[in-house]
Amino acid sequence: MEELGKIHQLIIPLGGHAITLNLEVILMTWIVIGFLCLFGRLTTRRRHIFPRSFQIAGELFVSVFYKLTGDALGEEHVEKYGPLICALFMFLMLSNWLGILPHLEEPTKDLNTPFALGLMGFVIAHWAGIRSKGFKAYAKEYFQPMFFMMPLNLIGELAKVVSISFRLFGNIMGGSIIILVVSHLTYSVLLPPLLNAFFGLFVGTIQAFVFTMLTVVYISVQVQ
Amino acid sequence: MDMNILTAMKIAAFAGGGFAMGMGAIGAAIGEGYTAARANLAVSRNPKISGDIFKNMLVGQAVAESASIFALVIAILLLFLEMPSGGYIQAASLLGAGLCMGLGALGSGIGSGFPAAETCMGIARQPMVSARLTTNMLIGSAVCQTPAILSMVVSLLLLFMQFENIPFQPGWGAVIGAGLSTGLAAIGSGYGGGLAAGASCEGVARNPNTAGNVTTTMLVGQAVAQTASIFGLLVSFILIFKSFPETRALSPAIALLSAGLCMGFGGIGPGIGNGQAAQGAVRWVARNVHHATDLMRIMLVGQAVSQSTAIYAMVVSLVLIFVV
Amino acid sequence: MAIEGADLVKAAAFLGAGISMGLGAIGPGVGEGMVAAKACEAIGRNPKEAGLLTRTMLVGQAVSESTGIYSLVIALLLLFVV
Repeated sequence: MEELGKIHQLIIPLGGHAITLNLEVILMTWIVIGFLCLFGRLTTRRRHIFPRSFQIAGELFVSVFYKLTGDALGEEHVEKYGPLICALFMFLMLSNWLGILPHLEEPTKDLNTPFALGLMGFVIAHWAGIRSKGFKAYAKEYFQPMFFMMPLNLIGELAKVVSISFRLFGNIMGGSIIILVVSHLTYSVLLPPLLNAFFGLFVGTIQAFVFTMLTVVYISVQVQ
Repeated sequence: MDMNILTAMKIAAFAGGGFAMGMGAIGAAIGEGYTAARANLAVSRNPKISGDIFKNMLVGQAVAESASIFALVIAILLLFLEMPSGGYIQAASLLGAGLCMGLGALGSGIGSGFPAAETCMGIARQPMVSARLTTNMLIGSAVCQTPAILSMVVSLLLLFMQFENIPFQPGWGAVIGAGLSTGLAAIGSGYGGGLAAGASCEGVARNPNTAGNVTTTMLVGQAVAQTASIFGLLVSFILIFKSFPETRALSPAIALLSAGLCMGFGGIGPGIGNGQAAQGAVRWVARNVHHATDLMRIMLVGQAVSQSTAIYAMVVSLVLIFVV
Repeated sequence: MAIEGADLVKAAAFLGAGISMGLGAIGPGVGEGMVAAKACEAIGRNPKEAGLLTRTMLVGQAVSESTGIYSLVIALLLLFVV
């Protein structure tokens, strides 16, 4: 039970402030990035008009997510946001799946990872909104329906970042805690693998998809 | 009247046991009653296969009853187990265990009534697919029991953990809050999961060809609807396993108690709402299977947005635990 | 055990914050779920308008979520300002 809440940290003092690096999370993130690079290399290595196994997987993946992006944002934005959405989903799915391997952990279990990704989506969505509507029209939306609603609208927008990142964090963290506690309580060979399959593969995929779809939706609300 | 630790523990154990069984009986009773009512309706529609419907009703009620059986187990443990005396904090944790299981059995009990009831109606409508319907019902109600099982895990932890090293003053808030958090949050998720499962049984009966799609949509919808109770569990575990410094002041204990209350109540609404969204999606997947992917996508987005209030509740709980 | 006034006020503020956010989350959660269920029904009936229906659903949910955000604001005010 001691593993709960124990993090290896590297603290670097820098000009009066301490920069804290969670080493395990960074390592796990790099492992995910390594897997993704490998996947990208395999899918594009021998490109051919008649696709082979890996190329089929890659093309299927990209076409599905480009279609999702096109449905939500309109065809004119697919080229711009498609790669982002694809990469976001692949990274999150692989991150959520990483915990099923022994000795590895989900980088999304640390709040910093989902929060950074949520913040990224927030900035991209609002930048897209300013770009497509112009700053004046963009700013005017905050004063709807009455001018004094501005602070509440602002908090509502900021709360979106909180909700999108805590949703992923809560699900992955809750799942891994349940697996840990049940494995400690039962010593059974059947239950922990089943729980791993449910929380790691099933819930992990759903939550990665939800996070990606919400990012698309936030962009689409701003663009249209 | 002199009040020693043993008396306090007995009082807490009896109160908790009574609460666990009393509340735990409500949900299963409502769910089973609903199942029986729908089964009667189904028999009146198609009296020829009353044997099939009757069998199915009993199986469905047996599954719906498991939530109250969990409550019975916890209540009996509370009544008859000889607890090691661990101070007043142990008494508070016994009370928390009873609260957690009693509240947690409520939603799952009501929820598992829906798939059983819809299966009875479905068999009356389509007697040929009764085996498929029963399988679907069993999957749906089993997943719908998950919040009750999560509550039982928290109750057992509260029963058997040794809290001697934890000071009483903020500790009592933490253990009762831990019980309330998972117990209350499980109400919504259990009820919502039942709504989704009921709609899927109805859908399979309406259009048996879509059974695969319907079951998949139900499972995804239920998994998302369970998020609220998983948040509740997360807050409970933090409250149980984090160590708090001893104080003389009342406010830290109240902060921990209200962290549990906040997450618990906050999980009810989103759990039910997610279940309703899943119900709508599953119902229409059965009617319009060509657009199953569109429906699943909008269900996920709708559920994610309706979850955000549960996430605000979790944020406030975490602030109450870690910041103030 | 004597309880000081300031301590009691703080405890009440914490309890109020928890209850405010907790109960305030029930309504929007159920309401937004209803919106999502009806949006699913509408897409099932008329799948061609999926984009428009999704946007309508999101706007409706955003409006019904505002009471949840008011609860959040009140809870944070109780925690940090009062």
